[in-house]
Amino acid sequence: MWRWLAEAWAVTAKDLRTEFRTRVALSSVGLFALTTLIAVAYSVGPFRISAEDRPFLLAVLLWIVVFFAGLAGLDRSFVKEEESHTAPLLRLSASPHVVWAGKLLFNLVLLAVLLAAVVPLYCVLMGYRIQLLGWFVALLAAGGYTLAVEATIVAAIIARAQGRGALFPVLALPLLLALLVFLIQGTTATAEGAVATVGASLRAVVSLGGAMTVVSAMLFPLVWND
Amino acid sequence: MGGGPCYRLAVADSIRIVFSGVAKRFDERVVFRSVAGEAAPGEVLAVTGPNGSGKSTLLAILSGLLRPTKGSVRYLLPGERELERAQWRRILGAVAPAMSLYEELDALENLRFFARVRGLQGAEDRCRSCLERVALDPGRRTQVAGFSTGMRQRLKIAQAMLHRPLVLFLDEPGSNLDPDGRSWLEGWVHEERAAGTTVVLATNDPREMEWGTRRVALAG
Repeated sequence: MWRWLAEAWAVTAKDLRTEFRTRVALSSVGLFALTTLIAVAYSVGPFRISAEDRPFLLAVLLWIVVFFAGLAGLDRSFVKEEESHTAPLLRLSASPHVVWAGKLLFNLVLLAVLLAAVVPLYCVLMGYRIQLLGWFVALLAAGGYTLAVEATIVAAIIARAQGRGALFPVLALPLLLALLVFLIQGTTATAEGAVATVGASLRAVVSLGGAMTVVSAMLFPLVWND
Repeated sequence: MGGGPCYRLAVADSIRIVFSGVAKRFDERVVFRSVAGEAAPGEVLAVTGPNGSGKSTLLAILSGLLRPTKGSVRYLLPGERELERAQWRRILGAVAPAMSLYEELDALENLRFFARVRGLQGAEDRCRSCLERVALDPGRRTQVAGFSTGMRQRLKIAQAMLHRPLVLFLDEPGSNLDPDGRSWLEGWVHEERAAGTTVVLATNDPREMEWGTRRVALAG
Protein backbone atom coordinates (compact mmCIF):
# COMPACT_ATOMS: atom_id res chain seq x y z
CA MET A 1 0.00 0.00 0.00
CA TRP A 2 2.78 2.48 0.93
CA ARG A 3 4.68 1.61 -2.20
CA TRP A 4 1.56 2.16 -4.29
CA LEU A 5 1.00 5.53 -2.62
CA ALA A 6 4.63 6.51 -3.18
CA GLU A 7 4.31 5.68 -6.88
CA ALA A 8 1.07 7.69 -7.15
CA TRP A 9 2.71 10.59 -5.33
CA ALA A 10 5.58 10.46 -7.85
CA VAL A 11 3.04 11.14 -10.62
CA THR A 12 1.49 14.00 -8.62
CA ALA A 13 4.88 15.49 -7.75
CA LYS A 14 5.96 15.34 -11.39
CA ASP A 15 2.75 17.09 -12.48
CA LEU A 16 3.11 19.72 -9.75
CA ARG A 17 6.71 20.39 -10.71
CA THR A 18 5.78 20.65 -14.38
CA GLU A 19 2.84 22.91 -13.54
CA PHE A 20 5.00 25.08 -11.32
CA ARG A 21 7.39 25.58 -14.25
CA THR A 22 4.76 26.20 -16.95
CA ARG A 23 1.68 27.36 -14.99
CA VAL A 24 -0.61 26.29 -17.86
CA ALA A 25 -3.46 24.82 -15.82
CA LEU A 26 -3.13 27.33 -13.01
CA SER A 27 -3.28 30.32 -15.36
CA SER A 28 -6.33 28.88 -17.22
CA VAL A 29 -8.18 28.19 -13.98
CA GLY A 30 -7.06 31.40 -12.25
CA LEU A 31 -7.83 33.65 -15.20
CA PHE A 32 -11.27 32.12 -15.70
CA ALA A 33 -12.08 32.35 -11.99
CA LEU A 34 -10.93 35.95 -11.71
CA THR A 35 -12.78 37.06 -14.85
CA THR A 36 -16.08 35.44 -13.88
CA LEU A 37 -15.73 36.62 -10.30
CA ILE A 38 -15.23 40.22 -11.40
CA ALA A 39 -18.05 39.95 -13.95
CA VAL A 40 -20.43 38.56 -11.35
CA ALA A 41 -19.38 41.08 -8.69
CA TYR A 42 -19.73 43.96 -11.13
CA SER A 43 -23.07 42.93 -12.66
CA VAL A 44 -24.80 41.51 -9.59
CA GLY A 45 -22.82 42.87 -6.64
CA PRO A 46 -23.84 42.46 -3.02
CA PHE A 47 -26.94 44.68 -3.16
CA ARG A 48 -28.87 43.85 -6.32
CA ILE A 49 -30.47 40.68 -4.98
CA SER A 50 -33.28 40.75 -2.42
CA ALA A 51 -32.44 39.40 1.03
CA GLU A 52 -34.91 36.57 0.50
CA ASP A 53 -33.22 35.35 -2.70
CA ARG A 54 -29.62 35.92 -1.60
CA PRO A 55 -28.77 32.54 -0.04
CA PHE A 56 -29.91 30.60 -3.11
CA LEU A 57 -28.79 32.91 -5.93
CA LEU A 58 -25.36 33.55 -4.42
CA ALA A 59 -24.89 29.78 -3.96
CA VAL A 60 -25.75 29.24 -7.62
CA LEU A 61 -23.29 31.91 -8.76
CA LEU A 62 -20.54 30.63 -6.46
CA TRP A 63 -20.68 27.09 -7.81
CA ILE A 64 -20.98 28.25 -11.40
CA VAL A 65 -17.74 30.22 -10.96
CA VAL A 66 -15.99 27.24 -9.30
CA PHE A 67 -17.27 24.62 -11.77
CA PHE A 68 -16.45 26.48 -14.93
CA ALA A 69 -13.09 27.66 -13.64
CA GLY A 70 -12.32 24.04 -12.72
CA LEU A 71 -13.37 22.80 -16.14
CA ALA A 72 -10.94 25.29 -17.70
CA GLY A 73 -7.92 23.46 -16.26
CA LEU A 74 -8.73 20.07 -14.75
CA ASP A 75 -8.25 18.24 -18.04
CA ARG A 76 -4.73 19.61 -18.56
CA SER A 77 -2.69 16.91 -16.85
CA PHE A 78 -4.09 14.14 -19.05
CA VAL A 79 -4.38 16.15 -22.26
CA LYS A 80 -0.78 17.31 -21.89
CA GLU A 81 0.48 13.72 -21.57
CA GLU A 82 -1.17 12.85 -24.90
CA GLU A 83 -0.27 16.08 -26.70
CA SER A 84 3.38 15.98 -25.70
CA HIS A 85 3.63 12.21 -26.43
CA THR A 86 4.74 11.35 -22.90
CA ALA A 87 1.70 9.09 -22.34
CA PRO A 88 3.16 5.96 -24.02
CA LEU A 89 6.17 5.84 -21.70
CA LEU A 90 3.96 6.54 -18.70
CA ARG A 91 1.72 3.63 -19.78
CA LEU A 92 4.76 1.36 -19.97
CA SER A 93 6.19 2.52 -16.66
CA ALA A 94 3.33 2.91 -14.20
CA SER A 95 0.29 0.82 -13.39
CA PRO A 96 -3.03 2.37 -14.50
CA HIS A 97 -4.24 2.77 -10.91
CA VAL A 98 -1.05 4.59 -9.94
CA VAL A 99 -1.57 7.03 -12.83
CA TRP A 100 -5.24 7.52 -11.93
CA ALA A 101 -4.50 8.19 -8.26
CA GLY A 102 -1.59 10.49 -9.11
CA LYS A 103 -3.62 12.56 -11.55
CA LEU A 104 -6.57 12.69 -9.14
CA LEU A 105 -4.29 13.98 -6.40
CA PHE A 106 -2.92 16.65 -8.74
CA ASN A 107 -6.45 17.77 -9.61
CA LEU A 108 -7.30 17.85 -5.90
CA VAL A 109 -4.37 20.17 -5.22
CA LEU A 110 -5.39 22.39 -8.14
CA LEU A 111 -9.00 22.56 -6.89
CA ALA A 112 -7.89 23.21 -3.30
CA VAL A 113 -5.88 26.20 -4.51
CA LEU A 114 -8.85 27.39 -6.58
CA LEU A 115 -11.33 27.04 -3.71
CA ALA A 116 -8.96 28.64 -1.20
CA ALA A 117 -8.51 31.65 -3.48
CA VAL A 118 -11.99 32.06 -4.94
CA VAL A 119 -14.41 31.27 -2.11
CA PRO A 120 -13.21 33.84 0.49
CA LEU A 121 -12.90 36.50 -2.23
CA TYR A 122 -16.39 35.69 -3.49
CA CYS A 123 -17.89 35.86 0.00
CA VAL A 124 -16.26 39.27 0.60
CA LEU A 125 -17.12 40.76 -2.81
CA MET A 126 -20.71 39.50 -2.77
CA GLY A 127 -21.29 39.99 0.93
CA TYR A 128 -22.25 36.32 1.25
CA ARG A 129 -22.79 35.47 4.92
CA ILE A 130 -22.41 31.84 5.88
CA GLN A 131 -24.10 30.91 9.16
CA LEU A 132 -22.84 27.32 9.36
CA LEU A 133 -19.15 27.77 8.59
CA GLY A 134 -18.04 24.26 9.60
CA TRP A 135 -20.69 22.63 7.42
CA PHE A 136 -19.80 24.99 4.60
CA VAL A 137 -16.12 23.97 4.74
CA ALA A 138 -17.13 20.29 4.83
CA LEU A 139 -19.36 20.84 1.80
CA LEU A 140 -16.52 22.59 -0.05
CA ALA A 141 -14.15 19.71 0.74
CA ALA A 142 -16.61 16.98 -0.30
CA GLY A 143 -17.72 18.95 -3.36
CA GLY A 144 -14.13 19.66 -4.38
CA TYR A 145 -13.21 15.99 -4.03
CA THR A 146 -16.19 14.78 -6.06
CA LEU A 147 -15.59 17.41 -8.72
CA ALA A 148 -11.94 16.30 -8.95
CA VAL A 149 -12.90 12.61 -9.25
CA GLU A 150 -15.46 13.27 -11.98
CA ALA A 151 -13.21 15.68 -13.86
CA THR A 152 -10.25 13.25 -13.71
CA ILE A 153 -12.07 10.35 -15.36
CA VAL A 154 -13.68 12.59 -17.99
CA ALA A 155 -10.27 14.15 -18.71
CA ALA A 156 -8.78 10.67 -19.18
CA ILE A 157 -11.54 9.80 -21.65
CA ILE A 158 -11.31 12.98 -23.71
CA ALA A 159 -7.50 13.08 -23.73
CA ARG A 160 -7.49 10.25 -26.28
CA ALA A 161 -10.21 11.77 -28.47
CA GLN A 162 -10.08 14.19 -31.36
CA GLY A 163 -11.41 17.70 -30.60
CA ARG A 164 -10.61 17.19 -26.94
CA GLY A 165 -10.85 20.87 -25.97
CA ALA A 166 -14.55 21.08 -26.78
CA LEU A 167 -15.35 17.61 -25.50
CA PHE A 168 -14.36 18.15 -21.86
CA PRO A 169 -17.21 20.46 -20.80
CA VAL A 170 -19.67 18.61 -23.06
CA LEU A 171 -18.95 15.26 -21.40
CA ALA A 172 -18.33 16.62 -17.91
CA LEU A 173 -21.46 18.73 -17.50
CA PRO A 174 -24.08 15.94 -17.52
CA LEU A 175 -21.97 14.05 -14.97
CA LEU A 176 -21.54 17.13 -12.81
CA LEU A 177 -25.15 18.26 -12.91
CA ALA A 178 -26.31 16.15 -9.95
CA LEU A 179 -23.29 17.27 -7.94
CA LEU A 180 -24.01 20.91 -8.79
CA VAL A 181 -27.64 20.57 -7.60
CA PHE A 182 -26.62 19.02 -4.25
CA LEU A 183 -23.90 21.61 -3.68
CA ILE A 184 -26.19 24.54 -4.42
CA GLN A 185 -28.83 23.07 -2.13
CA GLY A 186 -26.29 22.53 0.66
CA THR A 187 -24.62 25.92 0.28
CA THR A 188 -27.98 27.69 0.36
CA ALA A 189 -28.76 25.85 3.58
CA THR A 190 -25.42 26.87 5.16
CA ALA A 191 -26.35 30.51 4.49
CA GLU A 192 -29.83 30.00 5.91
CA GLY A 193 -28.66 27.98 8.90
CA ALA A 194 -30.74 24.91 7.99
CA VAL A 195 -28.62 22.11 9.49
CA ALA A 196 -30.87 19.23 8.44
CA THR A 197 -30.80 20.26 4.77
CA VAL A 198 -27.01 20.75 4.79
CA GLY A 199 -26.58 17.31 6.36
CA ALA A 200 -28.71 15.69 3.67
CA SER A 201 -26.85 17.52 0.89
CA LEU A 202 -23.48 16.63 2.36
CA ARG A 203 -24.46 12.96 2.60
CA ALA A 204 -25.57 13.05 -1.04
CA VAL A 205 -22.30 14.67 -2.17
CA VAL A 206 -20.18 12.20 -0.15
CA SER A 207 -22.18 9.26 -1.56
CA LEU A 208 -21.76 10.59 -5.08
CA GLY A 209 -18.03 11.06 -4.48
CA GLY A 210 -17.68 7.51 -3.13
CA ALA A 211 -19.63 5.99 -5.99
CA MET A 212 -17.66 7.97 -8.59
CA THR A 213 -14.37 6.94 -6.96
CA VAL A 214 -15.26 3.24 -7.27
CA VAL A 215 -16.58 3.58 -10.83
CA SER A 216 -13.56 5.65 -11.92
CA ALA A 217 -11.06 3.24 -10.39
CA MET A 218 -12.72 0.36 -12.23
CA LEU A 219 -13.14 2.23 -15.51
CA PHE A 220 -9.75 3.92 -15.69
CA PRO A 221 -7.59 0.94 -16.78
CA LEU A 222 -9.96 0.38 -19.73
CA VAL A 223 -9.75 4.05 -20.70
CA TRP A 224 -5.99 4.39 -20.18
CA ASN A 225 -4.93 1.22 -21.98
CA ASP A 226 -5.82 0.65 -25.60
CA MET B 1 26.88 0.08 -13.42
CA GLY B 2 25.23 1.07 -10.16
CA GLY B 3 23.33 -1.29 -7.91
CA GLY B 4 19.68 -1.13 -7.08
CA PRO B 5 16.71 -3.42 -7.42
CA CYS B 6 16.03 -5.27 -10.59
CA TYR B 7 12.87 -6.83 -11.99
CA ARG B 8 15.03 -9.29 -13.92
CA LEU B 9 15.53 -11.29 -10.75
CA ALA B 10 12.04 -10.67 -9.36
CA VAL B 11 10.12 -11.96 -12.39
CA ALA B 12 12.32 -14.31 -14.39
CA ASP B 13 15.69 -14.63 -16.09
CA SER B 14 14.43 -14.39 -19.64
CA ILE B 15 11.37 -13.85 -21.79
CA ARG B 16 10.48 -15.23 -25.20
CA ILE B 17 7.89 -13.32 -27.23
CA VAL B 18 5.83 -15.38 -29.66
CA PHE B 19 3.32 -13.71 -31.95
CA SER B 20 1.16 -15.14 -34.69
CA GLY B 21 -1.51 -13.97 -37.12
CA VAL B 22 -1.12 -10.41 -35.89
CA ALA B 23 -3.22 -7.97 -37.89
CA LYS B 24 -3.92 -4.30 -37.30
CA ARG B 25 -6.32 -1.88 -38.89
CA PHE B 26 -7.23 1.67 -37.94
CA ASP B 27 -10.80 2.24 -39.16
CA GLU B 28 -10.60 1.45 -42.88
CA ARG B 29 -6.80 1.48 -43.11
CA VAL B 30 -5.22 -1.94 -42.93
CA VAL B 31 -1.66 -1.66 -41.57
CA PHE B 32 -0.78 -5.37 -41.88
CA ARG B 33 -2.86 -8.51 -42.26
CA SER B 34 -0.98 -11.38 -40.69
CA VAL B 35 2.44 -11.14 -39.09
CA ALA B 36 4.12 -13.92 -37.16
CA GLY B 37 7.48 -14.32 -35.50
CA GLU B 38 9.42 -14.91 -32.34
CA ALA B 39 11.88 -12.91 -30.28
CA ALA B 40 14.07 -15.03 -28.07
CA PRO B 41 16.42 -14.20 -25.17
CA GLY B 42 19.89 -13.21 -26.29
CA GLU B 43 18.67 -12.49 -29.80
CA VAL B 44 17.74 -9.41 -31.78
CA LEU B 45 14.54 -9.56 -33.81
CA ALA B 46 14.87 -6.96 -36.57
CA VAL B 47 11.60 -5.63 -37.94
CA THR B 48 12.16 -4.07 -41.34
CA GLY B 49 10.02 -2.57 -44.09
CA PRO B 50 9.44 0.64 -45.99
CA ASN B 51 7.96 3.78 -44.41
CA GLY B 52 4.35 3.26 -43.44
CA SER B 53 4.64 -0.54 -43.42
CA GLY B 54 3.74 -0.67 -39.73
CA LYS B 55 7.08 -1.29 -37.99
CA SER B 56 6.29 1.06 -35.11
CA THR B 57 2.72 -0.24 -34.92
CA LEU B 58 4.02 -3.81 -34.64
CA LEU B 59 6.39 -2.78 -31.84
CA ALA B 60 3.52 -1.00 -30.06
CA ILE B 61 1.46 -4.20 -30.31
CA LEU B 62 4.31 -6.41 -29.10
CA SER B 63 4.96 -4.09 -26.15
CA GLY B 64 1.27 -4.05 -25.18
CA LEU B 65 0.65 -0.39 -25.99
CA LEU B 66 -1.80 -1.36 -28.74
CA ARG B 67 -4.09 -4.34 -29.07
CA PRO B 68 -3.99 -6.21 -32.37
CA THR B 69 -7.16 -6.36 -34.44
CA LYS B 70 -6.50 -10.08 -34.84
CA GLY B 71 -3.85 -12.54 -33.72
CA SER B 72 -2.02 -13.18 -30.49
CA VAL B 73 1.11 -12.02 -28.66
CA ARG B 74 2.45 -14.15 -25.82
CA TYR B 75 5.28 -13.50 -23.38
CA LEU B 76 6.67 -16.86 -22.33
CA LEU B 77 8.72 -17.42 -19.20
CA PRO B 78 11.09 -20.38 -18.92
CA GLY B 79 8.99 -23.54 -18.74
CA GLU B 80 6.53 -22.05 -21.25
CA ARG B 81 4.52 -20.31 -18.51
CA GLU B 82 2.77 -17.26 -19.96
CA LEU B 83 3.24 -13.82 -18.43
CA GLU B 84 -0.02 -11.91 -17.96
CA ARG B 85 -0.41 -8.84 -20.14
CA ALA B 86 -0.75 -6.59 -17.09
CA GLN B 87 2.78 -7.65 -16.05
CA TRP B 88 4.47 -6.93 -19.40
CA ARG B 89 5.24 -3.31 -18.61
CA ARG B 90 7.32 -4.33 -15.60
CA ILE B 91 9.88 -6.21 -17.66
CA LEU B 92 10.26 -4.11 -20.77
CA GLY B 93 12.10 -0.98 -21.76
CA ALA B 94 11.38 1.02 -24.88
CA VAL B 95 12.87 3.70 -27.08
CA ALA B 96 10.75 5.09 -29.90
CA PRO B 97 10.35 8.34 -31.83
CA ALA B 98 6.69 8.55 -30.70
CA MET B 99 7.68 8.35 -27.03
CA SER B 100 8.81 11.59 -25.44
CA LEU B 101 10.24 12.48 -22.08
CA TYR B 102 9.11 15.41 -19.95
CA GLU B 103 10.37 18.64 -21.48
CA GLU B 104 9.97 20.68 -18.29
CA LEU B 105 12.17 18.34 -16.25
CA ASP B 106 15.93 17.91 -16.51
CA ALA B 107 17.56 14.59 -17.38
CA LEU B 108 18.04 13.40 -13.80
CA GLU B 109 14.51 14.47 -12.78
CA ASN B 110 13.11 12.46 -15.69
CA LEU B 111 14.98 9.32 -14.67
CA ARG B 112 14.10 9.79 -10.99
CA PHE B 113 10.43 10.01 -11.98
CA PHE B 114 10.53 6.81 -14.03
CA ALA B 115 12.45 5.03 -11.26
CA ARG B 116 9.81 6.07 -8.70
CA VAL B 117 6.77 5.06 -10.73
CA ARG B 118 8.46 1.75 -11.46
CA GLY B 119 8.86 1.29 -7.73
CA LEU B 120 12.68 1.21 -7.80
CA GLN B 121 13.78 2.10 -4.30
CA GLY B 122 17.01 3.99 -3.74
CA ALA B 123 17.66 4.28 -7.43
CA GLU B 124 19.58 7.58 -7.31
CA ASP B 125 22.93 5.92 -8.11
CA ARG B 126 21.34 3.90 -10.86
CA CYS B 127 19.82 7.05 -12.44
CA ARG B 128 23.17 8.80 -12.37
CA SER B 129 25.09 5.85 -13.76
CA CYS B 130 22.57 5.41 -16.61
CA LEU B 131 23.03 9.07 -17.56
CA GLU B 132 26.80 8.72 -17.44
CA ARG B 133 26.57 5.63 -19.65
CA VAL B 134 24.84 7.59 -22.39
CA ALA B 135 27.34 10.45 -21.96
CA LEU B 136 24.91 12.89 -20.34
CA ASP B 137 25.99 14.89 -17.31
CA PRO B 138 23.80 14.01 -14.29
CA GLY B 139 24.68 17.36 -12.72
CA ARG B 140 23.38 19.38 -15.64
CA ARG B 141 20.20 21.19 -14.64
CA THR B 142 19.03 22.07 -18.17
CA GLN B 143 15.43 21.12 -18.89
CA VAL B 144 14.91 18.59 -21.68
CA ALA B 145 13.23 21.33 -23.74
CA GLY B 146 16.73 22.78 -24.18
CA PHE B 147 18.30 19.48 -25.32
CA SER B 148 19.38 18.72 -28.86
CA THR B 149 17.59 15.84 -30.62
CA GLY B 150 20.66 13.65 -30.11
CA MET B 151 20.73 14.36 -26.37
CA ARG B 152 17.01 13.56 -26.14
CA GLN B 153 17.65 10.24 -27.86
CA ARG B 154 20.45 9.46 -25.40
CA LEU B 155 18.11 10.27 -22.50
CA LYS B 156 15.43 7.98 -23.93
CA ILE B 157 18.00 5.19 -24.05
CA ALA B 158 19.02 5.88 -20.44
CA GLN B 159 15.35 5.67 -19.45
CA ALA B 160 15.00 2.34 -21.27
CA MET B 161 17.97 0.76 -19.46
CA LEU B 162 17.07 2.18 -16.03
CA HIS B 163 15.29 -0.88 -14.61
CA ARG B 164 17.42 -3.51 -16.38
CA PRO B 165 14.55 -4.78 -18.52
CA LEU B 166 14.27 -8.33 -19.81
CA VAL B 167 12.86 -7.11 -23.12
CA LEU B 168 13.98 -4.07 -25.09
CA PHE B 169 11.94 -2.46 -27.86
CA LEU B 170 14.13 -0.21 -29.94
CA ASP B 171 12.38 1.76 -32.68
CA GLU B 172 15.01 3.49 -34.82
CA PRO B 173 17.34 3.75 -31.83
CA GLY B 174 20.20 5.30 -33.76
CA SER B 175 18.20 8.21 -35.13
CA ASN B 176 19.73 11.59 -34.32
CA LEU B 177 22.81 10.02 -32.73
CA ASP B 178 26.28 11.08 -33.85
CA PRO B 179 28.80 8.44 -35.04
CA ASP B 180 30.17 7.98 -31.50
CA GLY B 181 26.64 7.54 -30.19
CA ARG B 182 25.87 4.96 -32.87
CA SER B 183 29.01 2.98 -32.05
CA TRP B 184 28.13 3.09 -28.36
CA LEU B 185 24.57 1.98 -29.18
CA GLU B 186 25.85 -1.00 -31.14
CA GLY B 187 28.05 -2.02 -28.23
CA TRP B 188 25.18 -1.66 -25.77
CA VAL B 189 22.82 -3.81 -27.89
CA HIS B 190 25.52 -6.52 -28.08
CA GLU B 191 25.99 -6.29 -24.32
CA GLU B 192 22.26 -6.70 -23.75
CA ARG B 193 22.20 -9.68 -26.08
CA ALA B 194 25.04 -11.26 -24.18
CA ALA B 195 23.16 -10.67 -20.92
CA GLY B 196 20.17 -12.62 -22.31
CA THR B 197 17.90 -9.68 -22.99
CA THR B 198 15.29 -10.12 -25.72
CA VAL B 199 15.72 -7.26 -28.17
CA VAL B 200 13.15 -6.21 -30.77
CA LEU B 201 14.46 -3.62 -33.19
CA ALA B 202 12.59 -1.66 -35.86
CA THR B 203 14.88 -0.03 -38.35
CA ASN B 204 15.63 0.89 -41.93
CA ASP B 205 19.30 1.53 -41.24
CA PRO B 206 21.39 -1.14 -43.00
CA ARG B 207 23.97 -1.16 -40.16
CA GLU B 208 21.32 -1.67 -37.50
CA MET B 209 19.67 -4.39 -39.60
CA GLU B 210 22.89 -6.36 -39.33
CA TRP B 211 22.46 -6.61 -35.55
CA GLY B 212 19.38 -8.77 -36.15
CA THR B 213 19.63 -12.49 -35.56
CA ARG B 214 16.07 -12.97 -36.81
CA ARG B 215 14.05 -10.81 -39.14
CA VAL B 216 10.44 -9.91 -39.81
CA ALA B 217 10.00 -8.01 -43.06
CA LEU B 218 6.81 -6.01 -43.42
CA ALA B 219 5.62 -5.50 -46.97
CA GLY B 220 3.99 -2.10 -46.74
